[in-house]
Amino acid sequence: MSMFRGRTAVVGIGQTPYYKRATSPDPEMKLALRAIVAACDDAGIEPAEIDGFVSYGSERNTGQKLMPGLGTRQLRHAALAWTHGGGIPAAVGLAAQAIVAGQAEVVVVYRAMAEQNFQRLSVAVTQDDTPAQFLANGIDMVLQRSAMRAQRLIEAEGVPAATLEAIAMASYHHAQNNPAANGYGQPLTTEKYAASRMISEPLRLHDCSRENDGAAAVILVSAERAATLKQKPAYLLSCQMGASASGGSREDNHNPYTSVGFLDLAQRLWAESGYGPGDIDVAQIYENFTGMAVSSIIDHGFCTAADAGAFIRLENLIAPSGTLPINTSGGNLADGFIHGMGLVCEAVRQLRGTSTNQVPGARLSLMAGGPGDSVTSTALFGTGDTL
Amino acid sequence: MTETLPIRGGIGADGPFWQALAAGEFRIARCGGCAAWLWPAHFRCGYCGSWDIDWPQVEPVGTLFTWTRNHAVGELLAERRGDLPYVTLLVELPQAGGARVAGVLHGDDTGLAISMTVRGVIRPAEPRAKGYPTMAWEIVR
Repeated sequence: MSMFRGRTAVVGIGQTPYYKRATSPDPEMKLALRAIVAACDDAGIEPAEIDGFVSYGSERNTGQKLMPGLGTRQLRHAALAWTHGGGIPAAVGLAAQAIVAGQAEVVVVYRAMAEQNFQRLSVAVTQDDTPAQFLANGIDMVLQRSAMRAQRLIEAEGVPAATLEAIAMASYHHAQNNPAANGYGQPLTTEKYAASRMISEPLRLHDCSRENDGAAAVILVSAERAATLKQKPAYLLSCQMGASASGGSREDNHNPYTSVGFLDLAQRLWAESGYGPGDIDVAQIYENFTGMAVSSIIDHGFCTAADAGAFIRLENLIAPSGTLPINTSGGNLADGFIHGMGLVCEAVRQLRGTSTNQVPGARLSLMAGGPGDSVTSTALFGTGDTL
Repeated sequence: MTETLPIRGGIGADGPFWQALAAGEFRIARCGGCAAWLWPAHFRCGYCGSWDIDWPQVEPVGTLFTWTRNHAVGELLAERRGDLPYVTLLVELPQAGGARVAGVLHGDDTGLAISMTVRGVIRPAEPRAKGYPTMAWEIVR
């Protein structure tokens, strides 16, 4: 029996708007405080009650720096999941572990980024992680490697290139109902997609996420405490992080090559939660690049490479009636991109029934983390009746 | 070139690879204990536990595993902007346990396709390669 299944819940979510890169009105630390305080207000919890701080790779706004601004009474737990986009939802898992182990009671998981304070975060993120084998050969750790994976997926595994377009179209489709989204009022059509400039073949401009300034935070507490609070709890049924024996940092020598690291994790996720791909009502699929999201969907078992073309079609990926509505706020591509943290908030909104693209009666809500990271993570949230 | 390399992103176990290229040779890491090919290079063999890493010379011929034609690059690769569009690739080396090495395509890219045979050409250290010597790859026609 799992020690963690359903023992904790997200009870508060908070976000600043997504600002265009380098246009945040506030420094990064203030963005972090705004999101965290908003999440506390949402939960009905005093900010000073937060006793645990968790984030993931390259977050610079530590708990110890935040606590004077929050009036923190006692910091009992502070941790960072090691990888970048792959570290969320792992950070949620670290928060839950601390709560279940009795090491903290009110834990915030957050990401804040603003270019005005530091050089573009993507540079900070990648410069210390890009091996000479790539950098000397004109290969960026993220863009070019993602493009080469997508090329292999299409050319050698026969996954139709149209699946990449479908991922982009789903994000933009949902953004049209979300006035807060970057892509609101900018619908994407097949013609517009085809006309967008090629960045790194087969990836076009519309296949690529672009960083925003902004912050997002979620508050976790025990299931017992969650039952006393004002919001409908989003129970954490399972959160898995890790890498398989052939994964980790292998400079694209991992196998199978087109997997983005979820094969083992998804098996553990389904085993711990007691649910499977066919049970999922809605999914936030981290799409740094569309091809990576295609592989994430395949890794999780929603479809195979062989039937990806039939499954990953726009009508199948959109709320309210698609088989697997994904990225329902507009996702990283069309809502905003702060390394996936916004996807956690949206996964929770779906269970509360407050998404701008609500899946009617959603009970099981998946959040898949940064695909292709050397360690990645995935989480399943559920309503009370899924426990 | 010293063991301390200017690009700090890797784990720093591939110094002999770059030294070999500078000397005109292509070498890949292999365990001195169990003979498993170790790529990317590491300090210890995870298969047998040996700390003894060999660097045998390998013929620079391989199979094109995947590729992308780049039309834009970010700040990290500013030195390559003048080369756009250029093709980067992963080359699989059957003679080195299927190790996949990264590289830039050199020469005509007409008909570029996965599984083509490619042959390596050493390029001297240059700014576009961050001051490293590199192995570029040409399609064998």
